[in-house]
Amino acid sequence: MFALALKEIRFFKVKYTLIGFILFLIAALVFIVSGLARGLAFDTAVAMEEMDAERFYLETDADEQLVRSRFMLSDLEEEIDREAGWEPLLLHRIRLDLVDSDFRENVTLVPVDPDSFVYPGVVTGESIESSTDLYIVVDESLQADGVEVGDQLYNEESELQLTVVGFAENQMYSHMPLAYIAEDAFASMEIVPDSVANAILLQESDEELEARIENIISGGNWLTKDAVVQATPGYSAQQSSLMMMIAFLIIIAVFVLASFFYIITIQKINQFGVLKAIGAKNSFLVGATVLQVFSLAVISIGVAIAFTVFVQMNLPPGMPFVFDLSLLFVYSGILLTVSLLGALLSSVKIVKVDPQQAMGRAE
Amino acid sequence: MTNQAPLELANITKRYKDGDQYIEVIKDLSFHVHKGEFVAVIGPSGSGKSTFLSIAGALLSPDEGKVLVNGEDIATYPDKAKADVRLRTIGYIFQSANLVPYLRAKDQLKLVSEMAGKWSKTNEKRVKDLLNGVGLSSRNNHFPHQLSGGEKQRVAIARAFMNEPDIILADEPTANLDGDRSTEIVELIAKEVKDKEKAAVMVTHDENLLKYCDRIYRLADGQLTLEK
Ligand SMILES: Nc1ncnc2c1ncn2[C@@H]1O[C@H](COP(=O)(O)OP(=O)(O)OP(=O)(O)O)[C@@H](O)[C@H]1O
Ligand SMILES: [Mg+2]
Repeated sequence: MFALALKEIRFFKVKYTLIGFILFLIAALVFIVSGLARGLAFDTAVAMEEMDAERFYLETDADEQLVRSRFMLSDLEEEIDREAGWEPLLLHRIRLDLVDSDFRENVTLVPVDPDSFVYPGVVTGESIESSTDLYIVVDESLQADGVEVGDQLYNEESELQLTVVGFAENQMYSHMPLAYIAEDAFASMEIVPDSVANAILLQESDEELEARIENIISGGNWLTKDAVVQATPGYSAQQSSLMMMIAFLIIIAVFVLASFFYIITIQKINQFGVLKAIGAKNSFLVGATVLQVFSLAVISIGVAIAFTVFVQMNLPPGMPFVFDLSLLFVYSGILLTVSLLGALLSSVKIVKVDPQQAMGRAE
Repeated sequence: MTNQAPLELANITKRYKDGDQYIEVIKDLSFHVHKGEFVAVIGPSGSGKSTFLSIAGALLSPDEGKVLVNGEDIATYPDKAKADVRLRTIGYIFQSANLVPYLRAKDQLKLVSEMAGKWSKTNEKRVKDLLNGVGLSSRNNHFPHQLSGGEKQRVAIARAFMNEPDIILADEPTANLDGDRSTEIVELIAKEVKDKEKAAVMVTHDENLLKYCDRIYRLADGQLTLEK
């Protein structure tokens, strides 16, 4: 059965290469669009996606958006010790310039307790520690802009100089790199009034603690991390439009493949009749057809994956593109299933072929 | 039971719908063929010869009557079982060779063997011998489009013999060939019938070929009558 399927593909190379090529193009487009979707999602919200916190307490009228929510923390700090498990999260946007360079970038300063779950740690360089030294750990994307460990970044308005001591990975939020700084150091900069936060975070949900915090600071509600990520400005809009593109591509794949195989099947009706007349069973003929589609799909999708890797390696560095292998496998699985369903549609036709078709007909 | 006819048709009737009335193409026809016997069926065009042979070859179901293949009535078999009978017990040779366009000559034979689940290395030799036997030893690796009409028909014959069927049915196997090729083809079938004790039925228009046959029937008005 497999031998028959492959011999036919080999004999009608052009025809099957054409179908394979179309499937390859569709698959490659699906993969690249999904890579872009991941890339945009990455720049928009990866820092929150990766945040080691399950519960976010935000102001009720902040529309679930982190930057629109703001709390005074003094009451809470008096009533419940941070040891109980809560951490404040403050995102403070400032502009930083690199000394002796034309690098300037808006970053989001995040004051943290370096021992708490809010702080992600570093992948290169040194971690920050609780002190008033103006040291920061920034997202590694700044490395691409020429920032190195030990560089001084200064803020013109406040005339403060911050020293980069290390880099963290996956710390982008709203298309800005995050810069983690020790709370004490941030307080010493005196750029915001004491004890404000955009949100209060819990590492894990804890109904009792949540209720206690709500009692002290009213006017907020508890959200999941996912809700906060989804509400990041631009996130849902980007993702839903790109997902729609992917869905359309898959629907196109269904129709293109199903009609292609249907036409091929119609062309081969006489041949199926002959094969049935010499004793081929439906299961054999359908099996051979499905195997053909399967091998074509596996090859085309495989080449499309390789092509996506190639594209990713050759993209300009600023391009938001994330190669997510597990997501790629999900889409590959969908495309494969869709191809096989398209082939099964033709199978109905194959089953209906009358072996008498072989009588008195020219090939 | 040793002398049982491999193929027997009993009281077969076949009707085709023509507008809103039915035409009886085959009427209460009975027929059998023994091992080692080569039977010819002749008759005017449209008399129902192909219809008769299709019924005998499990390609078509009769409206009434029994089709006994080695004593088993296959008329009521489901499609899958009929396909199996066609694969293992019947070698059918069509007017046109009906080869699979993308298979080499040797693979045409290999295919039917594989479908019957009988493929093994020893069959490699059988394929060679069969193609040798029909004079195509140098054409093993040719595709149908590289073969002449007579060569294609000889591959089709070798394919019909491949699974060692008890019954060989041929519907005008020489209609597309010239006189010399026709004689060669029918000689091949006759030789297989005698050597291997097969039961064979051939429909033909060609009077010259009748000398190879043991019995000759004429089909007319839905009935078979013995001519010789
Ligand atoms: N599927 C069908 N539907 C309706 N009528 C049919 C069908 N097949 C055959 N017939 C009719 O049955 C009759 C016998 O057909 P058949 O093909 O058996 O003739 P034949 O003896 O083989 O003719 P020829 O020598 O031309 O091949 C013809 O009149 C034909 O029109
Ligand atoms: Mg006919």
